[in-house]
Amino acid sequence: MSTTKLFLRGVADMRRFPLPQLCTLITVCMVALLAGTGLLILHNVQTEVLRTQGQARFQIYWKVGADMTAVEAQWTDLKRAPGVAEVSTFTPRAALSELMRGLAPKTSGGGLAQSNVAANASGNASAAAGSPGAGEDFSWLEGDNPLPATALVSFNIPPAEEPEPWMGRMYARLKALDGVEQVTYNPTQLTLATGWIALVQKAALPALGFFALVVGLVVGNTLKLMMLARKDEVEILSLVGARAWFIRAPLFANGVVQGLLGSVLSLFCLKFLQSWLRSVLDVPPLFLKVEFLPLTQCVALVLCTTCVAGLASLIAARK
Amino acid sequence: MVHLEHVNCTLGVAQALKDVTLHVERGEFVFLTGPSGAGKTTLLRVLYGDLKPKTGAADVAGVDLMRLRGSQLPELRRKVAVVFQDFKVLPERSVFENIAIALEVRGVSSVSIDKRVRAVIRALDLEERSYAPCRQLSGGEQQRVAIARSMVVNPELILADEPTGNLDSDLSRHLIELFKQFNTYGTTIIMATHNREVLSWAPEARQVHLVRGQIVPPEPGAPGSVLDTKPIIGGRL
Ligand SMILES: Nc1ncnc2c1ncn2[C@@H]1O[C@H](COP(=O)(O)OP(=O)(O)O)[C@@H](O)[C@H]1O
Ligand SMILES: [Mg+2]
Repeated sequence: MSTTKLFLRGVADMRRFPLPQLCTLITVCMVALLAGTGLLILHNVQTEVLRTQGQARFQIYWKVGADMTAVEAQWTDLKRAPGVAEVSTFTPRAALSELMRGLAPKTSGGGLAQSNVAANASGNASAAAGSPGAGEDFSWLEGDNPLPATALVSFNIPPAEEPEPWMGRMYARLKALDGVEQVTYNPTQLTLATGWIALVQKAALPALGFFALVVGLVVGNTLKLMMLARKDEVEILSLVGARAWFIRAPLFANGVVQGLLGSVLSLFCLKFLQSWLRSVLDVPPLFLKVEFLPLTQCVALVLCTTCVAGLASLIAARK
Repeated sequence: MVHLEHVNCTLGVAQALKDVTLHVERGEFVFLTGPSGAGKTTLLRVLYGDLKPKTGAADVAGVDLMRLRGSQLPELRRKVAVVFQDFKVLPERSVFENIAIALEVRGVSSVSIDKRVRAVIRALDLEERSYAPCRQLSGGEQQRVAIARSMVVNPELILADEPTGNLDSDLSRHLIELFKQFNTYGTTIIMATHNREVLSWAPEARQVHLVRGQIVPPEPGAPGSVLDTKPIIGGRL
C-alpha cells in the first residue's frame, strides 16, 4: 500500500473515533492559541518599540517671557531642519490652556487629544480661546503667564550614528539656541528599545523551543490517549505482520491533520481575541491599536504546530 | 517448523514455562492441552514472538526467536498466523476489510486482494455477510472471519489459542473440520485447547500436554491419546 493511501486511510479513520479526536483537537487548539497570544503580545510590543526606536525626543523650554516672534521663527526653522520627524509646539497660552484642561474635572473624554491637535496645527494660543469645560478659572494668570514656550521635537537618528553620542551632540545644539532655558531628553527610552530588541532576538529561539516542547508533550500525550482507542487495531495490524510504517503512517497523518486543524482554528480564535482587545484598548488614554499577527507568523505558528503534532504522533505510536 | 529446546519463560514472578522442549514438523497438527493456567497461551505467545524466552533455544519457521529484533517481527508474523478465543476482529470494519487487512500489510495489489478475499469468503461460507460490519456477526461468524484472515495469506504455521472457547459444540466441530482441511493442504497447525470433545474430533492429531508450565505425558484415557503414536515428550528427539 502506498504511503499516500496510508495517509488517506489515517485521515478517513479519524471519523471512527469522534470523541478522542475532538478532545485532541481542542487541546491542540488551546495550546496553539496560548502560543498565538504570546506572539500577538510580542508582535505588538515590538511594533510599538520599533515605531519609536529610531527616534529621539527632546523637550525644549524657552525662558519665561521670551519674545514670541523670535521663538516662532525658531520653530519654523526647527520644522525645516533635517532629520526632524515631528514638532509639537506650545505657546505659553496654549500651555496654560492645556494645564487648565488637565486640572479641570473630567468633562469630555476627547478633550486632551483635541487640544493637542489644535496646538499642533496652529502653533499658537487660539486653542485656548474658549475653554468651556474648565472648572477652575485661571484667567487671572493670563496677563502674567508663568509658563514658558515649549516644543517637543522628535528626530530620526541617522542610521550611521551611534544613538547616544548623537543625542548628546543634539542636546548641546538645542541648548545653545537663543533664548532656550532648558532641554530635556530621555536616553533610557532608547536604551529600553535597543534592550528589548536584543532580548527578543535572544529569547525568541528558546521560547520557540519551549513552545514546541509543550505542544509536543501535550499533543503527544493526548494522541497517546487517542491511540488507546485504536489499541486493538494496532495489535491486530501487528499480529498480521504489518511493518512499523504501515501502523504509524495513518497515525502520523492523523496527528498532522490534528495539528493543522487545531492551529488554523486557534488563528480564528486569536482573531476574535485581537478584535476584542482592540475594541477594549483603542480608547483614551491608551489608543493602543492591537494589530493581528503578520502572515509570516501565522504561517509559522501553523507549520510549527503541525510539525510538532506529527512528530508527537510518531513518537506516541511507538510501542 | 517449530524447534524449542529447554525453553524457560517467566511472567511477572511466576515461571510460566519450565524447560520446554518441543519439535513440530511441517504439516503436523498438534493439540496443546492442559488445565487452565498450565502455560498454553504463554507457549503460543513465545511462538509468535510476543514473549521472549528467558533461556533456551527457539526457532520458528526459520526465525531465531532468541535473537528476534523488533524489525524482524513482521517477518515472523507473515509466516505465522494466529487465531484467538476472542476472535480479535475489528468490529467496525466489514468482513471483507477484516480479511483484506492481512494482505494489505503485505503490499498485495488491490486486484489480487479482491480475488483472494472473495475466494476465502466463499470457502468459509461468509458471502452473505461480506460487507456487514463484524460487530453484527455472531461469534461463530466472527471466528470464521478470523480464520479466513489467517488462511488468506497461506501461512506456514497457524497458532490457535482456544479458538472454540466461545463457540457452541456444533460450531466448534465445524471449525475443527476447517482446520483439518487446511492442514491437509500442508499448513502446520498448533491449537491450544482444554476441551476434550475437541480433541476427539481430530484423533489423528498429536497431543502435547502441559501442566504447570512443563510438558508431561498425557493423562491416561484422554481422547486421542490412545491413538497418538507420535512421541509426546521431546517431540521427535
Ligand atoms: N501477564 C501475566 N503476568 C503474570 N503472570 C501471568 C501472565 N499471564 C499469565 N500468567 C501466568 O502464567 C501461567 C500460565 O498462564 P497461561 O499461559 O495463560 O495458561 P493457559 O493458557 O494454559 O490457561 C499462569 O499461572 C498465569 O497465572
Ligand atoms: Mg490460555
